[in-house]
Amino acid sequence: MTVAISLLIGAALVGWFAPDFLSRGVARGGDPLVAIVAWLAAAVAVVLTTTVGIVLVLLPDHGFGESAVATLHDCWSTIQHGTTPSIEAVSGIVGALLLIGLAVRLALALVHGTRRRARVRADHLATLRIAARRDGTTLWLDHHEPLAFSLAGKPGVIVATQALAEQLTQAQVDAVFAHERAHLAGRHHLIIAIADAMAHTFPFLPLFKLAPGVLRELVELTADSAAVRVCGADAVRAALLKVSQHGAPGTALTMSGTAIDLRVSRLRTGRSPRGRVRQLVYCGFAGATALVLPTIAASGAVLAVVAVACPA
Amino acid sequence: MHGLGELEAAVMDVLWHEQPLKVRDVLERLETPRKLAYTTVMTVLDNLHRKGWVTRELEGKAYSYEPAMSREEAAARALRDVLASSGDPEAVLMHFAKSASPRESELLRRSLPRKKRSSTP
Repeated sequence: MTVAISLLIGAALVGWFAPDFLSRGVARGGDPLVAIVAWLAAAVAVVLTTTVGIVLVLLPDHGFGESAVATLHDCWSTIQHGTTPSIEAVSGIVGALLLIGLAVRLALALVHGTRRRARVRADHLATLRIAARRDGTTLWLDHHEPLAFSLAGKPGVIVATQALAEQLTQAQVDAVFAHERAHLAGRHHLIIAIADAMAHTFPFLPLFKLAPGVLRELVELTADSAAVRVCGADAVRAALLKVSQHGAPGTALTMSGTAIDLRVSRLRTGRSPRGRVRQLVYCGFAGATALVLPTIAASGAVLAVVAVACPA
Repeated sequence: MHGLGELEAAVMDVLWHEQPLKVRDVLERLETPRKLAYTTVMTVLDNLHRKGWVTRELEGKAYSYEPAMSREEAAARALRDVLASSGDPEAVLMHFAKSASPRESELLRRSLPRKKRSSTP
């Protein structure tokens, strides 16, 4: 029971404090992709640790004794005999039901989300394809505002306006396309979809609740640094300024609460992005750490309990 | 990107170059790898009419087709359709530079070192 509860506490701690820790790291100039990997790994770890914790509660003798089926049977027979089953059995079964419910909810959210997105994307593409001129995988729209966006899917599509090509220098246009290609290559749309499904399913811990908003920011920062790698920070920053000024005339930068200023200040002051290989190594390290973090936190909790309960 | 949508785009392209055109004229001007059937083009034009992309008038026995709007207007309409539907709850598309809602960037913003924040334009 103690082990199980410490695991649950460990999961809760990570679910509570990881978001703040990770965004602090990014705000201090850390690699946003590393933060994304760590965030997703932490989410998986919290779910797994919670599951293990609940299973342990369900199994008497901390999982080394009878099977879950036997527990269920015991529990049922105690109820039949008019006595109350043990707290462990009840809480374990309630927990198991809760977990199964959440798993079903997550699966449904993912399936529905995927279907809805496919439909919306097909609608968008149908409209865009008619209005646009096609050049490879890029759709060009005759429009007077410089705009660009990417549509997920197979294959992904980048949509840009004529004004983008006219008002931006070649280097800046390249930067925009490098940014959008990074979205497509990094499957960023999928990351956001997963974040949305998680937030929908587990709306309680910050790690899940904040995932859609923060990960949306982080994928933009990631795409920015991918573009910096190809075109340099100056081109990306200039492109960002030119495009965003049209989105909301005059106010895009000064308006509080836009992500643009965050990105621009990062492009101005941030260190240059790491090489691909080092980035991969960092991502692997961060992901692995995040995966075991709840367990480590749980061990800490056990030690704390031991220290308090059995003073030497 | 192929199939009917591709054809619709090709037909609109023809009409934006030259108008009004009858089905047979469109068929002649279409540059497709293999010759399309008359009825295929007719169906495509019918669809485009139903979706409001083209207008048509009966001339003699056949319809004469015209784009309902210029290419620029079409682009504006497409952008409006696509971008309006997305405060993007579906996460289908990603802007290059989109104004985020205040809530979205709150967490990152809060953790920005104070000095950096005040020097941001």
